[in-house]
Amino acid sequence: MLKVNELNVSYGAIHALKGISFDLQEDEIVALIGANGAGKSTTLNTISGIMRPDSGSVVFEEEDISQTSPAQIVGKGIVQVPEGRKIFARMSVLENLEMGAYTLRDKDVIKAHMAEVFEVFPRLEERQKQLGGTLSGGEQQMLAIGRALMASPRLLLLDEPSMGLAPILVEQIFEIIQKINAEGVSILLVEQNAQMALSIADRAYVLETGMVALSGKADALMENPEVQAAYLGG
Amino acid sequence: MKTSLKKGLSSGVIFGIVFIFLLLIGFINVGSTMIGDLLGNTASGRLPVNNLLTFLAVLGVLTGITARNGLGESQWWQALLGGLVAGLVSGVLAWLAIWLTGTLSLQGSEIQTYLPNMDPADLNYLRFYSTPLAAANTYLLYFVGFSVAGAALVWLLSIKGWFVKCWQACRNGVSNWKGTKDLSDVFKNRWVMLVIFLAVAVALYFLPLAWGSYWNYIMGTVAIYVILGLGLNIIVGYSGQLVLGFGAFFATGAYTFALLTAPTPHGIGLNLWLAVGGSVLVSTLTGLLLGLPILNLRGDYLAIVTLGFGEIIRILIKSDLLTAVTNGPKGVTNVGQPTWFGETFNDVNYMHLLMLLVLVALFIAKRLKDSRTGRAWVAIREDQTVAQATGINTYRSKILALMLGAAFAGLAGALFASRNQFTGPEDFTLMVSINVLCIVIVGGMGSLPGIVLGAFVLKGLPELLRELEDYRLLVFGALLVVMMIVRPEGLWPAPRVKFDKPAEEPMQDLAPEVKQ
Repeated sequence: MLKVNELNVSYGAIHALKGISFDLQEDEIVALIGANGAGKSTTLNTISGIMRPDSGSVVFEEEDISQTSPAQIVGKGIVQVPEGRKIFARMSVLENLEMGAYTLRDKDVIKAHMAEVFEVFPRLEERQKQLGGTLSGGEQQMLAIGRALMASPRLLLLDEPSMGLAPILVEQIFEIIQKINAEGVSILLVEQNAQMALSIADRAYVLETGMVALSGKADALMENPEVQAAYLGG
Repeated sequence: MKTSLKKGLSSGVIFGIVFIFLLLIGFINVGSTMIGDLLGNTASGRLPVNNLLTFLAVLGVLTGITARNGLGESQWWQALLGGLVAGLVSGVLAWLAIWLTGTLSLQGSEIQTYLPNMDPADLNYLRFYSTPLAAANTYLLYFVGFSVAGAALVWLLSIKGWFVKCWQACRNGVSNWKGTKDLSDVFKNRWVMLVIFLAVAVALYFLPLAWGSYWNYIMGTVAIYVILGLGLNIIVGYSGQLVLGFGAFFATGAYTFALLTAPTPHGIGLNLWLAVGGSVLVSTLTGLLLGLPILNLRGDYLAIVTLGFGEIIRILIKSDLLTAVTNGPKGVTNVGQPTWFGETFNDVNYMHLLMLLVLVALFIAKRLKDSRTGRAWVAIREDQTVAQATGINTYRSKILALMLGAAFAGLAGALFASRNQFTGPEDFTLMVSINVLCIVIVGGMGSLPGIVLGAFVLKGLPELLRELEDYRLLVFGALLVVMMIVRPEGLWPAPRVKFDKPAEEPMQDLAPEVKQ
C-alpha cells in the first residue's frame, strides 16, 4: 500500500533522514519507534507532504507522492494526526470535525462520517458544542484522531498519540487505534512509548539517527534483547 | 481593611502622578476651559475659578471610584477608608505640586525656561489668584472630599446589589412585554427587524442631508476606512497573516483610478465606473504578485517584508523613475468625479454612494466569513500545520485572502482619490497602514461590527476631539490605552459561533427569573 524508498530529508544543513526504506501493507499497523531526533516525525511529515525529500520516493498505491502537495495527499486518503494534540482550540468540537472533512463537499457524506466518528468517540458527541481548547488532554487526542477520520482516510499517520497522557488514557487511545484498524484503516504509528506501540503493531521499524536500525514483526522485536535494553527499559 | 488601604494607596498615587503630569503639560487649564465651555461658563479676562474647581472635583471623584472599583458588596467604612486614603495621597501630591510651583513662580524663578507650560499667568489661575499655601490647601481639601464622595458613590451602587437588581428588573420588564422570553428574541421577530431596517435606511438617507458638508467629509473618511478595515480584516482577522504594508494596495487603487480619469499626465479620461473596476483589478493583481513570493513566510517575517513593500510602492510612486507615469511627488490633480444623469456628485451624493458601498462591502465580507474558504482561513489562523493536515491548500488560501483584501483596498483607494479630486504619494505613508491595522485590532479582529466601530473611533473620534487642539492625540492615546486594558479583545470582539438551543424545551424553563 505504502512504500518508502531510500528517503533522504534535511533541515538546512542537518541531514535528518539518511536513506530510510520501509513498507506498509493494506490493513496493517506499522510502528516506527526510536529515541528523540531519530527522524520519526520527519518521516511522517514527508509522507504527508509537509516536508519535501531531497531524494528517494514515497509510493502510495503505485503512485509516487513525494512531490504532491499536502492538500492533494489528504485527498488521496493519507491523513496525519499531528504531534501534540494539535486541535483548533478556539473552534468547537463540531467545527473541528467539520474542518477534518474539508476535502469533502457532499453534506450527506460528511454527516455519515460524523456519525461514524461519534460512534468511535461517544465522548466527542457529548462535548460537540464545547470549544476544543477546553477539552481534557485525552479528549483532545480523541478529537485530533476523530478529525482525521472525518476525511475517511485509508492510511492514518499517527504522531505520538500517547504524548503527555495518563497511562489509563494511553491504553484507551491504543484500544481505539486497534478498533479503527479493524474497520479497515491502515495505520502508521510513530511512538516513543515502544512498549505500547509494539503491543498493538503488526510490524515495526526501529529508527536511529535517521536510519532504520532494526525491523521485523512486533512480537519478535519485543523479545529482541537490543530493543529491550534500549527502548523497553531492560 | 488591608485591601482597602492598598487600593486607596495605589489609586491615590496614580491620580496624584496623573495630576502632576497634567499640571506639567498645562492640561489643567485646558481641561478647565473645556468644562467652562460645556457649562456655558466662559470667561473674558480673568478665568472663572469655578471651572477649575469642577475639574478638580471630577478628578477627585475618579480617584475615589478607582479606589473602590468593582460592584462587590463591602462594608461602608471599607469603602470610605479606601476613598479617604486615595484622596489624602493624591491630595498631598497635588498640594506639593501646587505649593512648589506657586512659591517658585512668586519668588520670580524662571521655571518656564525649563517647563514651557508653567506660564506665570496660568499658575496664577491655578492658585485661584491667591497664596500658594491657601491654594494648595484647597486642592488637598477637594481631593479628599471628592475622593470620599466617589468611593461612597460606588458603595451606594454596590449596596446589596440594588443597582444590578434594578437593571435585571428593567430587563425582565421588557422581556415580559408581548410574552417574549428574552430581550434578544424581540430582535428575532421579522417585523421588528423590518422596522429597524427601514428606520436605519431612512436615517442613513437623511443624515448626510442633515449634518452638513463638514460632517459628510469626516464620515466619508470613516466610510473609506471601514472599507479598508474590512479588507485588512480578511487578511489579518480571518486568515491571521500580519500584513503591515496594506496602504500599498490603497495607493495602487487610488493611483490607478486617478491616472485613468485625470486629464494629466495621461489624459485617458476613462468612464468613472470602469475606472473603479480597473482600480479593484490592479490592486487585486498587486496582491497576487506580492503574495506569490512571500506568503510562505510566517509571522514577524511576513510583517517586515510587507512593511517594506508598502514603503517601496510609495517611494516608487514619487521616484524620478516613474515621474512620467505617476506625476511624481506632485501627485495627480483633477481626478475624475462621478456623475449622475449629467449632474456632478455633491457631498451628499458622495456620502450616499459611500454608505451603499460600505453596505456592499459588509455583505461580501460577511458572506466570505461564512464560506468554506472562510473556514479554511480560520483554520490557517488557528494552526497552519494542522490546517495543512486537514487538506487545506494553505498557500492558495492565503494568496486568495491577500487578493481579496487588496481588492477592498483598491475600491477604497478609488473612492478616496475621486472624493479628494487629488492623490499624491504622501497620502499613503506608513501611518495609513498602521491606522487600518489599529482599526482592525481596536475594533476586534475578525468582527465586522467591530471594524465599523473601530473606524468610527479611530477616524471619527479624533475629529470630535478637535476641541482639544494640541492635546487631541494625548487624550486619544490615553483612550486607546484604556480601551485595550478594559477590552483587550477589541471593542466588539468576534463572537464564538452560538449554537441553537434545543427547540423542544419548554419556554418557561429557559427563563426561570421571569416566573419569580
